[in-house]
Amino acid sequence: MTIPCDQRWELVDLIAKRTVSKGTYRQTLGDVLGELTVKPLTGIPIALGVLYAFWSVFSSFAGALVTDGFMVKLFDNYWLPWLQNVWPDPNSILYFLFVGDPLANNCFEAFGMLTSGLFVAIGVVLPAVFIFYLMMTILEDSGYLPRLATLMDTVLHRIGLHGYAIIPMILGLGCNVPAVTATRNLETKKQRFIMMTLLAIFIPCGAQLGVMLDVIPDTIGWVMLYLILGFAIFGYILSKVIPGSNPEILIDIPQYRWPMWDNVIKKLWNRTKGFFLNAVPFVLAGVLLVNVLYLTGVIQALADLLAPLFVTWFGVPKETVGPLVAAFLRKDLAVAQLSTIAMTPYQMITSVVLISIYFPCVATFVVMLREGWRELLAAIAALAVVVFAYGGLIHAIGILLGVA
Amino acid sequence: MKEQISLTTIYVALLGSVALAFGIADILVWAGVLNSIEIGILTIGGDDFFRWAWGGLVLTFGGILMLSGAQNIYQLQQFSKAFLGAVMVWIIAFTDIFATVCENIPAGEETPAFFNSLYGFFSGFLPPYTPAVLLLPFTFLLAYGVYTWNSDESKRDLPDE
Repeated sequence: MTIPCDQRWELVDLIAKRTVSKGTYRQTLGDVLGELTVKPLTGIPIALGVLYAFWSVFSSFAGALVTDGFMVKLFDNYWLPWLQNVWPDPNSILYFLFVGDPLANNCFEAFGMLTSGLFVAIGVVLPAVFIFYLMMTILEDSGYLPRLATLMDTVLHRIGLHGYAIIPMILGLGCNVPAVTATRNLETKKQRFIMMTLLAIFIPCGAQLGVMLDVIPDTIGWVMLYLILGFAIFGYILSKVIPGSNPEILIDIPQYRWPMWDNVIKKLWNRTKGFFLNAVPFVLAGVLLVNVLYLTGVIQALADLLAPLFVTWFGVPKETVGPLVAAFLRKDLAVAQLSTIAMTPYQMITSVVLISIYFPCVATFVVMLREGWRELLAAIAALAVVVFAYGGLIHAIGILLGVA
Repeated sequence: MKEQISLTTIYVALLGSVALAFGIADILVWAGVLNSIEIGILTIGGDDFFRWAWGGLVLTFGGILMLSGAQNIYQLQQFSKAFLGAVMVWIIAFTDIFATVCENIPAGEETPAFFNSLYGFFSGFLPPYTPAVLLLPFTFLLAYGVYTWNSDESKRDLPDE
């Protein structure tokens, strides 16, 4: 059955009369605030303020309150001494694997699965991931995140991405695993590859940030600066080298609104739970495997093999090779291991940057493999070039500044 | 009415100027151009890049936004700018207060107790204070402006002079 054109218009009029209400539009305060947060002149200072708040709350809660305030004391004063007392035979292999160094007086330096592994997972990563996802969810549900995406669109187009790439980037600061999955939101293969590669190389995860905050609080700013510079430089190079398109997108910007706390709690629970199910087994298994590799001499052999490259090209002590090799399993633990090695502050900055840009951790590796083995191989090839070139560049900058 | 409007403009402009001066002072002290400042209950000082350089920059932008919104403040666009300037001051002030709360809940390394005493907790809030914390109560006028904005439609788009 077909409806004649006149009748169709009558029907449209009827529906419009019943559903559309007319009035005078008056711009509200919320509308203007929304516009001001998108315009670059006012939006960029506001974005700087919001990111300041994000980082400040993150470090105060995860660093000062939970980890330093309670977890360090709980693990170092109660858990570690108890475990060292009850575990039989400190010279046994099992003691080395699960408790670690019998003379250690803190969980960071013990390197056992039940000492360092549990401390990193529960004492460092849990508070960091919890507060990170809470802040992220509030930004998302208040309507600020789409505005940040719009604001960043022009900048990100210069490295072959568009504004919504900000979401995997921010997620990556929590954990690279959901961030790699979030790259599916990007339009083209080129964009997905660039984002995945940059995530794997230049975005440190929440666990790593938490440990860095604890181990190198004075130099973390320099490490982040090198990572941001590397992100921009290699992003630009990749966008020029990788074939493919970078289309414009339309971003739907919702009104600002107060987040609904039911939703915030649900999202926070799901994300924290998801992270724990994915990452915690890797933390514990990672520590165990690193200890096995140390015990069997594999890491020592690799360290001897790679030492000339690390000492002459990257300018870091020979002893850092072990943690750098182990970083494949857990980057956060590798940073903790670095803290026990004597070196200059600049060597520490170089080593931590190298750990960050070095091979992605096993969990990220597995998720990247799920996205396609060709992409993974290409990302690893890009990564090898970046580590070699950027590591050498940082050493050269240090030589020029007279600090390396 | 005319005098009242001018007073608001002057108040916000003054507040913006002070925030701008404090923000610049934060950055200069961090950069080592000025020595750390401690006058009465005010303290500016520290080599922490994040808190004093980045935080100082945010405070500076807050001051600039308040200054640019001070003129014709009863216009929606202008008021919104000034309000965002106040929000920037709130960000620094509330994160400073939050940091103090987080640092003072645990007992500290030297004692086996986990929680700080009530006296120890509150003594963490004694002066001196950072510039943003001192500016905080003075910026609440702009929050009150937001509260009254919707209920007082007649003020909208009213020219300053």
